[in-house]
Amino acid sequence: MKISILSEIKPSDLPSPPQAAILIMQACTRDSTDSKELGKLASNDPMLTAELLRIVNTAFFGNVAQQITSISRTVTVLGQRTLRNITLCVAVRDSVKVGSIPGFDVNQFWEDSIRRAVSARAVAQYLDVDHEACFTAGLLQDFGLLALYHAHPDKAEHSSQLREQDPEHRRQTEQKLFGMTHDEAGAMLAETWALPEIIANAISEHHRIETSEPSITTILRCADWINSIFTAKDKSITLQKTSDIVLEALTMTSSQFDVLLEMIPKEVATAAQVLGLDINQQEEFIKILKQVNTQLAQANLSYQELTWQLESSQKERDRLQTELNKELGLAREIQNSLLPSKMPDTFPIIGVNLAAKQLSGDFYDYFRLKDGRIYFNLGDVSGKGTHAALLMAKTTSLFRCLGKRVHEPGKLLAYVNEEIYETSARGMFVTMVAGIYDPESDTISLANAGHLPAIIIDQDKQLSKIDAQSPPLGILRENVFPETQFKLNGGSLYLYSDGVTEGRLEDGKELGMKGLLALFLSLAEKSPRDRIEAITNRLTTHADVLRDDVTLVLVEKNRVFD
Amino acid sequence: MKCEISTRGIYTVIALQGEVDLHYSPQAREPILTCLKKKQNVLVDLSAVTYIDSSGVASLVEGYQEAKSSGVKFGLVGVSKAALQVLQLARLDKVFSIYDSVENLLAN
Repeated sequence: MKISILSEIKPSDLPSPPQAAILIMQACTRDSTDSKELGKLASNDPMLTAELLRIVNTAFFGNVAQQITSISRTVTVLGQRTLRNITLCVAVRDSVKVGSIPGFDVNQFWEDSIRRAVSARAVAQYLDVDHEACFTAGLLQDFGLLALYHAHPDKAEHSSQLREQDPEHRRQTEQKLFGMTHDEAGAMLAETWALPEIIANAISEHHRIETSEPSITTILRCADWINSIFTAKDKSITLQKTSDIVLEALTMTSSQFDVLLEMIPKEVATAAQVLGLDINQQEEFIKILKQVNTQLAQANLSYQELTWQLESSQKERDRLQTELNKELGLAREIQNSLLPSKMPDTFPIIGVNLAAKQLSGDFYDYFRLKDGRIYFNLGDVSGKGTHAALLMAKTTSLFRCLGKRVHEPGKLLAYVNEEIYETSARGMFVTMVAGIYDPESDTISLANAGHLPAIIIDQDKQLSKIDAQSPPLGILRENVFPETQFKLNGGSLYLYSDGVTEGRLEDGKELGMKGLLALFLSLAEKSPRDRIEAITNRLTTHADVLRDDVTLVLVEKNRVFD
Repeated sequence: MKCEISTRGIYTVIALQGEVDLHYSPQAREPILTCLKKKQNVLVDLSAVTYIDSSGVASLVEGYQEAKSSGVKFGLVGVSKAALQVLQLARLDKVFSIYDSVENLLAN
């Protein structure tokens, strides 16, 4: 697959070095070559010779002491390796023609290559390793990218975008675009060009992370990252990443790194001049730093904006919460006003309602009829929340209103049922026990519509119950609600909601029906008020939040308690 | 709570599992009403229901009322002990059509 991509490159388009340069490079690599032989090779290409001599006489490649006038003298003064490296740089430069890939900015490519080269050289100088080889390898390390664009000139439009990415992302994008990365393509080019092994290896391996002592591979990797600070779109993140990578790989301090970065733009300009390459004017590093700071400031600003937005949303939420709580508080107040007002202890009926949520679906009520009898009820609306509270309000209102005229609990339930059935929504229903207590005869007439059994405890502490005789209110249009009449005989009648039987005790267990009956019996000697209080305490003192509404009603002929 | 829907004969069987409480009952209500509104005969299988509260019962009541106004069948099958206790206590066993199993209902 990879071979086929390279084979797509037309021979005329493939960057190829001048023949004389190849011969000089090969000769420089052999130990047996002498300076005369090299001089002879160079004389075949006077243009190349002149260019090489121009370059070796610049301070950039270390020769300032004396003017060198021949290739053989170059070898004597600077050594074979330097000549090889300089020849390679020139060969690479001459192999790429401006405009050979439409839409691809060759000058910018050179600028980046030179930046990698001078960065590699600076790092090599810091590490005290062969900095000339590093310069040459740095110049060549992304040469594979050219081959990729040669093979896929249609992808040249992505070159600016690719340049703006950091080395890691760039490789991923290359893989997607070309099915191959520049280091892989570079390795193949190095082989075609028969480049010296040290440089060929550095080109193919410069993205590998080495854990051993930093070698030329690590140096090129750092150089690649350093270059990306100057080219990346997001300079602040790239600077941070590069700094992390370089400082760790080279055991460099951040101030040493700063010094290194500051010298890069100037070095790039010098090297470009030496190599005779046309590049854009280099921005000082301080300007890059300013850009980084601006980006950071912008990021901070948007963070600040987010914080403000969050703060204002929280304030809005708090405001709505307060408003809602206020509304719920008002609703709860209205609900409370629907509950009967507190009566003196001599009154034979006592009740309690504790809402699990702020609004309750439970209710109880009692009121005296003109003839002295007392109507009472306890009910539970299915579901919870506002809609349950509204139905509760409706039911209690109906009960009070109709109760004043209809003095039979069963009949009253039938009327209430009809009303609720006609207007009830979402399958909502009401379970209710309604009764009339006659204090004079101590008798009760009671109807249970789908509610939990009413419990009677007689004077001898014998228990009996009155189960529901009919379904809850609001389910069937017409229904009969049978009444049960009985004499209380000094005993007690308890009505309660499922919040009581399903309430949790201190140990987390449900009170349950048995538990509630046991509680009724054990508290029998206490006054009604103390009894009610003791029962609710069992369910509430340890609980932060009630699981369900707790409602309880006790009917009992007034008697004397200790 | 889990809810599985299948077709058995002329019935769409909606099987509820686990606790049908205030939190989960909307998940039971929704498929029951959707099927009924499509004029399907619905059986709610309560055999795997471990707990049902008044909001769960309300979903069944709503199904019952919806079926009545749409003229389709609605019933409960295989009602678990926990669910039956709640229904019996509230005398709702008199309201709903309750069948022991879908098989027996289809056989008859």
